[in-house]
Amino acid sequence: MTAAVRDETVEVWDSRLRLHVKIAGDGPPQLFFHSLAGPAWPPLLNRLAERHTVYAPEHPGTSPGDPQAIREVQTFWELLLVYEELIGKLGLERPAAIGQGFGGMVAADLAVSFPQLFSSLVLLSPLGLWRDDAPIPLMEMVSGPPAEVLKYLYAYPGSEAAQAAQAMPGDPAQLAKAIAQATWNVGCTTKFAWPIADHGLGRRLHRVQVPTLIVWGREDALVPVEYAKEFGSRIAGSRVEVLDDCGHVVQADQPERSWTAISGFLDG
Amino acid sequence: MKVSLFEQVPYRYMPEGFENQHNSVVTAPYQIVEPARMTESLFSAYAELMHGARAGFDGICVTEHSQSSYDISPNPTLLASAVACATRAEQLDVAITVLGRSLGKTREPLKIAEEYALLDGVSGGRLIAGFPVGLSYDANLNASLPAIETRERYREHRELILKAWSEPRPFPWNGRFEKYGQVNIWPRPVQQPHPPIWIPGTGSPGTLRDILAHDYVFVYLSWDGPKLTGRQVFDRYWELADELGRDRNPYRLAFLQVVAVSETDERAEREYARHLEAHYRSGLGAIPHTAMAVPGYAEPAAIEGMLRSAGPAGMLSRMKTATYSEIVDSQVAIVGSPATVADQIEAFVREFRIGNLLVMLQNGSMPRDLTEKNISLFAGEVLPRLRPIWDAEGWENHWWPRAAEAVPEAAGGAA
Repeated sequence: MTAAVRDETVEVWDSRLRLHVKIAGDGPPQLFFHSLAGPAWPPLLNRLAERHTVYAPEHPGTSPGDPQAIREVQTFWELLLVYEELIGKLGLERPAAIGQGFGGMVAADLAVSFPQLFSSLVLLSPLGLWRDDAPIPLMEMVSGPPAEVLKYLYAYPGSEAAQAAQAMPGDPAQLAKAIAQATWNVGCTTKFAWPIADHGLGRRLHRVQVPTLIVWGREDALVPVEYAKEFGSRIAGSRVEVLDDCGHVVQADQPERSWTAISGFLDG
Repeated sequence: MKVSLFEQVPYRYMPEGFENQHNSVVTAPYQIVEPARMTESLFSAYAELMHGARAGFDGICVTEHSQSSYDISPNPTLLASAVACATRAEQLDVAITVLGRSLGKTREPLKIAEEYALLDGVSGGRLIAGFPVGLSYDANLNASLPAIETRERYREHRELILKAWSEPRPFPWNGRFEKYGQVNIWPRPVQQPHPPIWIPGTGSPGTLRDILAHDYVFVYLSWDGPKLTGRQVFDRYWELADELGRDRNPYRLAFLQVVAVSETDERAEREYARHLEAHYRSGLGAIPHTAMAVPGYAEPAAIEGMLRSAGPAGMLSRMKTATYSEIVDSQVAIVGSPATVADQIEAFVREFRIGNLLVMLQNGSMPRDLTEKNISLFAGEVLPRLRPIWDAEGWENHWWPRAAEAVPEAAGGAA
């Protein structure tokens, strides 16, 4: 089922930013923080929208027509403050939060910085930590040939979900616009994740106080599965689910098993 | 007309077919290097610049690239400093153009202010200060700075350097990227308030507007060849000059051209063809396209414009397989007898109103003796035809160091 998605604009940051938020569904609030690639509405959000009101904010600068918004956010700390303001302006009382990759790093550091902000936390193969024996090829992926991006993200790059996530318009003018937007989006997110997405999260993850689920693909070629237990061991009481035959984008490679893990956690 | 010898510092012994297996930048494998051949490659660049200064060029020009096999010049002020001292000792008043330390890449902008000031001092006021943003692979991959901040860093660093050169008393700097409590550099440039400022760019309207607004010089490094991309860039520049109320003084414009001269056209092809092909294939041709624009380096409108542009694609995108005939047909390199070369250069110099010409006479595998022959022939037989091109129009070159004003005695082919 496809949810009816509406777009809301919220003024934050002393009126210097107008953040776009995609909203759908009905029920308790559920935030979704997107990945490095920029705003997305994966099928996972439609499923969530059946029982929640899903809020998917767009990272500053990634909303079409407002590329320079990214200039208003100078540091990762400011980004966290911007999101905390946004959640307040939306009037959300202790929403649940899900973050994917880069969005997982954002959600985790929000939970660290504002321990009462969320009711629960789901991290889908998040960035945010670094081990020398498990390097994360983020720079290689972002600066490499576009055709090779898939190999970092998916165990099954041919799946319907993976193909849909990478789809581009056929019309040449629209295609140019879409490529320019997609490229800029990555510029906006990597501003806070370059060249190594480590802002010291590992030294403060112990501050997370809400129930936390960590989901990882065993074949993750971007953020190796070793990081699942790094997150798990630092967040007291967290649950770690490692999925077999699964790459970085868990909900694309293993939609059913990742949904079982996520919905089980949220219902439990 | 001012003519400078432009030199990069390639490793001259790149293995055949390198470009099919490796990139020339960022990840270029150092294992291919033989230490003695590296030493020779580095020293040859210094020697050839001195050869050019003695042969009668108006200036010498060097560039900065890190982690690269085609230009091993991580800090061009080192190279320029050696040439500045040696030319002073020999009373060769050539301009020293550093084109330059990359302001979007540096983590230590005040170091650049100090180095340039020192260079201006030891050369006796002969520095031309290049203020490039820096290529994306260099700023965002080698230096690993977020691509989206490259131009913001550039602007802050340029402002800081200019202030450090001209502010009489110590001052604090509370910038977004740099914080200093007491900026008070020693020495300051001999040329006050600052040496001539030249800015290399690819010709985007924003850059051109910035250059004209500040009364600097635009430097176009045409790796694409003047035939293919020159027209659109230069027309835009002069139209913007009109719009901003700047005159059409040709010295506002500098242009880089690769040239190879020999006694006859046939001999030039025989001597230079293989070196030119190897140079483009294993050098510029082996830089991955994606490394030239890491996401965030170019604005979305610029990317869209590039993708939608119906204009002629330059040679840059085809360098990896460049053939000699493609290279000369596109004028990416101008090759031939002194008369052939002078005719072709004079035609585009007049057409595009270029007052400062940079010529690159060493390429890739070219050995030192052949390079020095190229330099001598160019200085002796081509340069004299180019130098008076703008004399009749009576323009003054406000962007040339006064201390390098005297025209050097041309020592000709015997240098």
